[in-house]
Amino acid sequence: MIEIQNLTKTFGPIRAVDNLTLKVPKGETVGFLGPNGAGKTTTIKILTNLISATSGRALLNGVNVLTKPKLALSHVGAVVETPEFYPYLTPLETLAYMGSIRGMHSKDIKVRSNEVLLQVKLEQWRDTRIGKFSKGMKQRLAIAQALLHEPEILILDEPTSGLDPRGMVEVREIMKELQKQHYTIFMSSHLLNEVQEICDSAALIDRGKLLVYDSIDKLKTLSKVVKLEVTTVGSAPETLLGKVRQLSQVRAVERVGESAFLVTFEGPVDDRANLLQGIQSLGTKVSGFSPVGLPLEMMYMDLVKESR
Amino acid sequence: MVGFKVPSDITQIPIVWKYELLKYLRSWRLVASIAITFVVMGLIFFLPPAFGRPYSGTDDFQVKSNEMINLGTPTPYLPYSSLTIIGRTGVVVSDLVVTVNGTNYPSDSWFLAKMSDANQIPSFISDLQLSGTYLVLFKDNLTGSVVTLKYDWRITAETFELLNLNFANILIIICATFFAADSISGEYYNRTGYLIFPNPMKREILFFGKYSASMTAGVLVVGLFYIGVSGFSLAAAGEVDEDTWKSFLFGIEYLLAATAVGYVISSLLKGTTGAIVLTFFLLFLILPIVDGVAMFTGVKIAASLTFAGGVMIYILQDPYPVDTTMDFGGSPFSIYYPEPSVSAFVMLAWAAAAIIISLVLFKRKQLAG
Repeated sequence: MIEIQNLTKTFGPIRAVDNLTLKVPKGETVGFLGPNGAGKTTTIKILTNLISATSGRALLNGVNVLTKPKLALSHVGAVVETPEFYPYLTPLETLAYMGSIRGMHSKDIKVRSNEVLLQVKLEQWRDTRIGKFSKGMKQRLAIAQALLHEPEILILDEPTSGLDPRGMVEVREIMKELQKQHYTIFMSSHLLNEVQEICDSAALIDRGKLLVYDSIDKLKTLSKVVKLEVTTVGSAPETLLGKVRQLSQVRAVERVGESAFLVTFEGPVDDRANLLQGIQSLGTKVSGFSPVGLPLEMMYMDLVKESR
Repeated sequence: MVGFKVPSDITQIPIVWKYELLKYLRSWRLVASIAITFVVMGLIFFLPPAFGRPYSGTDDFQVKSNEMINLGTPTPYLPYSSLTIIGRTGVVVSDLVVTVNGTNYPSDSWFLAKMSDANQIPSFISDLQLSGTYLVLFKDNLTGSVVTLKYDWRITAETFELLNLNFANILIIICATFFAADSISGEYYNRTGYLIFPNPMKREILFFGKYSASMTAGVLVVGLFYIGVSGFSLAAAGEVDEDTWKSFLFGIEYLLAATAVGYVISSLLKGTTGAIVLTFFLLFLILPIVDGVAMFTGVKIAASLTFAGGVMIYILQDPYPVDTTMDFGGSPFSIYYPEPSVSAFVMLAWAAAAIIISLVLFKRKQLAG
């Protein structure tokens, strides 16, 4: 379990993390969202003993990482930013180094190294010096070293950063597998679809403050604004678009094709039926009416906009 | 689930040491240091003979009239009437042949004394401040006579090693630069800290693992140099100076302190290039310049690391040199030498202080940005 209590970190006059309180229950996968500079990486760096906190507590399995980092990090695997590796070592040697520091037996290190390298598809590079690796390969190796000792807690900062689309899918598959095995995972990401796909719940922060923290399902319903794509039978004239703009709860209308336009609508799900009726009452035959974009994305944009 | 128990602090040090040492063993730096060592040793050994200064030979020359000094009437205390000097070290005493006016001068009528041996030289002769290595004392007054000296000579181990071990000082600075200067800053600059810091290991353990690896690499290079010099000394002088091991121990102590200074700079700076350049210039130029200026102004800075480090060279000299003040164009000029016991303490104090400072800096340094 990860418990962040009133955590604050200041850099001069800037409060990167502002009295943040958050709890990641055991066995859950929690996404950590926020725009650039929101304080995600700073929080993760505090949790992984890379930087100190100004005040507050950060508990990993009940042990404060700020006062007892060695004990607190003993059952943690972490990937923070895209780490660089010692270029003179091979993946096997790197894993042996990390495993030895963590107290694994040499036999276990051997077995697990082969397993995790297979998992991240680096088995054919196991004896090649890392100096020759691409960023994507290093990111895979970073994930491998985090998983090596089968930690109870995984802290991941942008785990798919630097990977090509195929690599991203593969890493997400690994994450889903870990989620099934009930690891406690705390991951930051810019990719909302990734969080929506992998995580049980998500926390959104901006300017160091927690805006919302709930299950993914509940967060999806939080958004008041939705974009709806309307397709008409025949072309949609400009006069029609002007009239739609006048309808209640419509914030904007944007043409996307000869017979299609996007309506930005603010209101609960039930009111969308009224919108459809309103468009049809303008004498237009509607052949398509569906929301576009991710619900989580709409919620994200909403809340971040509100907080600023 | 994999079973594991995080090792104790003390057992984590050799783990870090092993992988840090691997860095040096696989890097060009260690190879370069060893290559520099062998090239310099080769140059110092082979260049003097190539330039006409062999390590052994035979001298056969006539003593100039102004180099024959009249001592006056012999006394029971000093039963000799005249003397001359030999500037060569390593004269084989048993081979000395003296001829006077073309006739062999009997060996019981002269005595060869080493000028550095105070027991062999009467004080009034020492007061003459003759520059030379040996004195040849004659029972007769040979001023005005044609005196020739013929002898075999061979460079002494002390002279040979003094010539060579001057480079050990520079080599230690090179080792501190190569193996310490970017050891800490590299974790931040190269972003490898993101890999190593989130592990269950205290920063001080990482520090000591790194420091011991830096020292191992340094001792390897400096040790190789001393072994090489000793080997060449055996080849050139037929022996190794008895004080070589003391010089080596002082050298290791100097390396300990210089490496620690490298770690302070490494903990202080963010960039690796800046740390490397500053470490080298601090130990090679800045501190020696301070030593030199202080000596010029008549101040002895015994607490200076580079001044104290000089003990590794002077310890070879018999007798150990003492501070002297000379008249230099009307104004006094002093030459200071580090005292062995004081220098040993100074270097240890530098090492301890630098380790503490760099540890504090390293522990406070954050991987932000």
